[in-house]
Amino acid sequence: MTNPAPLLDVSGLTVSYGAVEAVRGIDLKVTKGEIVTLLGANGAGKSSTLNALVGLAPRRARQLSFAGEDIAHLTPELIVRRGMTLVPEGRRIFPTLTVAEHLLLGGAKHAARGPLAETQAEMLALFPILKERLHQKAGSLSGGEQQMLAVARALMSSPDLLLLDEPSLGLAPQVVDRIFALISDLRARGLTILLVEQNVALALDIADRGYVLVNGRIEIAGSARDLMASAAIRDAYLGA
Amino acid sequence: MDIFLQQLLNALSLGGTYALLALGLAVVFSIIGLINFAHGELMTAAGYVMAFALAAALPFPLAIALAVAAPVLLATAMERVAFRPVRGASGTTLLLTSFAVSAILRVLFQNFISARPVPVPMPSALSGVINLGPLHLGIIQSISIATTALMLIGLTLFLNRTVAGRAMRAASEDFAIVRLMGLRANGVVATAFAISGLLAGVAGLLWVAQRGSVDPLMGFLPVLKAFIAAIIGGLGSLTGAVAGGFLLGFIEVTLQAWLPEAWLPYRDAVAIMLVIAVLLFRPQGLLARKTVLKL
Amino acid sequence: MTLRKTLSLTALTLGLAAPALAEDLTIGLATAQTGGLAPYDQPSLAGFEMRVDEINAAGGIAGKFPIKLIAKDTRSDAAQTALVAQELVDAGVQIMITPCDADPSIAAGMITQGAGIPAFSFCATTPTLPLAVGDFMFGNYPADNVQAAMLAGHAIEAGYKTAYILTSPDSAYTLKLPQYFGQAFAAKGGTVLGEGTFAMGQQDFSAEVTKIAAMDPKPDVIMTAAYEPDFPAFVRQLRGAGVTTQVLGSDGIDSPTTFAMGDLVEGVVFSTAGFATEGSALAAFNAKYKEKTGEEPNTVYIANGYDLGTVIEVAVTKADSLDPAAIRDAIASLENVEGVTGAISYAGTMGMPLRSVSLVRIVGGNRELVTQGVPAPEEVPAP
Repeated sequence: MTNPAPLLDVSGLTVSYGAVEAVRGIDLKVTKGEIVTLLGANGAGKSSTLNALVGLAPRRARQLSFAGEDIAHLTPELIVRRGMTLVPEGRRIFPTLTVAEHLLLGGAKHAARGPLAETQAEMLALFPILKERLHQKAGSLSGGEQQMLAVARALMSSPDLLLLDEPSLGLAPQVVDRIFALISDLRARGLTILLVEQNVALALDIADRGYVLVNGRIEIAGSARDLMASAAIRDAYLGA
Repeated sequence: MDIFLQQLLNALSLGGTYALLALGLAVVFSIIGLINFAHGELMTAAGYVMAFALAAALPFPLAIALAVAAPVLLATAMERVAFRPVRGASGTTLLLTSFAVSAILRVLFQNFISARPVPVPMPSALSGVINLGPLHLGIIQSISIATTALMLIGLTLFLNRTVAGRAMRAASEDFAIVRLMGLRANGVVATAFAISGLLAGVAGLLWVAQRGSVDPLMGFLPVLKAFIAAIIGGLGSLTGAVAGGFLLGFIEVTLQAWLPEAWLPYRDAVAIMLVIAVLLFRPQGLLARKTVLKL
Repeated sequence: MTLRKTLSLTALTLGLAAPALAEDLTIGLATAQTGGLAPYDQPSLAGFEMRVDEINAAGGIAGKFPIKLIAKDTRSDAAQTALVAQELVDAGVQIMITPCDADPSIAAGMITQGAGIPAFSFCATTPTLPLAVGDFMFGNYPADNVQAAMLAGHAIEAGYKTAYILTSPDSAYTLKLPQYFGQAFAAKGGTVLGEGTFAMGQQDFSAEVTKIAAMDPKPDVIMTAAYEPDFPAFVRQLRGAGVTTQVLGSDGIDSPTTFAMGDLVEGVVFSTAGFATEGSALAAFNAKYKEKTGEEPNTVYIANGYDLGTVIEVAVTKADSLDPAAIRDAIASLENVEGVTGAISYAGTMGMPLRSVSLVRIVGGNRELVTQGVPAPEEVPAP
């Protein structure tokens, strides 16, 4: 395996809310084309890590670079414009805005109409259900549809790296399968993905590598296969 | 019946002005959680610019344009200088900051312009009456109703047809996520302040047209009314602010018109009690919406 | 009394608060430089300072008592006024001047009364103000009931039979003056058809105006003591509802805003403290003021403040002493002091001066004198 420069290169990332340290100096690398998963119990610091990467959570880091550029002092809007975006936990769609409006705002970084329309057509092809719901308010969509909308909205900014926070949360099993099929599909299209997921088996199934967070620190890192085989992981999550 | 219709028009005119003001407060509150008590000083600024423009014998339309532009600039300047540094701070901090801005502006008006009211000589064409059968509608009252309608339509179009407007609606629901669309937070907030300045400017001109003068303390009372209206409507809800403004106008006019004479001195107390009654049944206001205030 | 003197002497010897020379007359100004009363207190102060400068330029009162002013802002707040008054009393003032409103004047008066220092309100018009405070409190402006009597006399003479009064319970002035008018009008044979109310500062009169428009029979005249911003808003909305009934106002509307309203206020008659007829002392004062400041004196409060300087000058000359009690007695005995607004008397009153009231009609944006004088005492409603 060659060892190209990582797309995302993080070291010593700390996230603290006042006196509370949610993430305590973690190192993380994501290489182009990979799916990397971040595992851990509730409160281990997974969401905080993702939020910090896009600049939504207060952060400190020795190194925080994306595509070879230091992004430690960039605002979320500038980070998104550089090609990294987040599908947040709980989807966080705008209930009173229509599906079309979500896609429009998601693609706000495309200054020209041409690329915007093109990307939107691409999204509607990828998510046919959204095409049917185009002029409905997002609040009236089902949970699965909302999750797809949240992903589509994020993809509208044509990112190179997509951070996905708990995409299966609160969804029916069949819907979860569709979401995961979609994630694989996205990777096949060349998208790099950093995935936080409660469903460890599913996550490790599609991921290349994984990190396990415990109390804000990375305890284990390795290939998905190794992690799947790890007794500790099995004991902690898979209950087998 | 005629009297009833006449009072209805009265309520529409007064409620419209309250609605514009409440909307100005709500636009900013929905996005950064700030109740801007300096909103009244934006009205006052519009009044002063109008007074000086007319005194300088500028054409009336130009005077209006300047008077509306001034609070827009002042509002964005306020945001940049006073509110941006405390953005994301607690509600109390924001509120106190806005009190400070309001007090500073009032003292500046007083010391650099005048403590006494400055006359705003509106063209006499504006003091006429339109007779609609038995109804008498003052020209200023009609302009007030028409302007309110235009502003509401314009704002609705802006919010629903433009990217910036949709971004503002999105920001009022979830500010952080709007930033994830690559939309600049500062731009969205500045737009909100500019719009609130525009609304304050228009409302300020309508207010000044009625009273014919502007003084440093002019903005206090209307912004208090607007605050009440915004609370009735459900803070943070734009539709609610408009509904609350009209409701407050209707309550006030109705009470003034039909309360027994002995009760009239207590009109405001009765009005506030009705407002409290509304809030007992709808503690979140008429059209409340959960607002996510995370940055 | 003795205690106050001791305190002020202590302050003097320590050089703390009152660096006044022994023969200085120290006047404390607990008046509003900011806030809602500033529009009245500021011009009053400007006129007063002008008179004080003249007196000092001539070597002080009677050539031996230069005047020293200590001014502190009350921010138009009654509690702050009391605080400021206390500070000024502690600084050893011999005369106090309080704001253009009864409430803060009473707050300050409570302190000066206790300290035995005479106090004047710049332009409070509530006739009960001296009664509420005591014998050391004086007014400096034609009282509400005096203005009301003049207006009622005019209304009867003009042939009005019925009147409607518009009051606001938010201040003594806006409530009582129209009610005094109603009493005086009824005493002279007129009929008051009704009383409407408004809340000050709200400037929405539409509901009230609709009621007036629907009145049957219509009143011959409407009297109100509303002032800015209420009066302009009221008249605008009244005329906007097609009601052309004659309107009578009081001195609160003697302001540039009223005169900038054009046709809306054509024919309105109001009471005020002075009218500059050609060759009058007031006309001469106005010319002098313009020469000094380069500005037109756009309100009679300036001349009224100027006259207070004269009243104090005459009283201190008469007392020939800086003892506050002696000054008080001298004030209470003043008769026909020649002010630029007319003769001013305190003798025989309860502390509100008897002084000339002018009734002015607005014609083409200018003033036209209707009548000028002091109403007969029996025509003035009791406070």
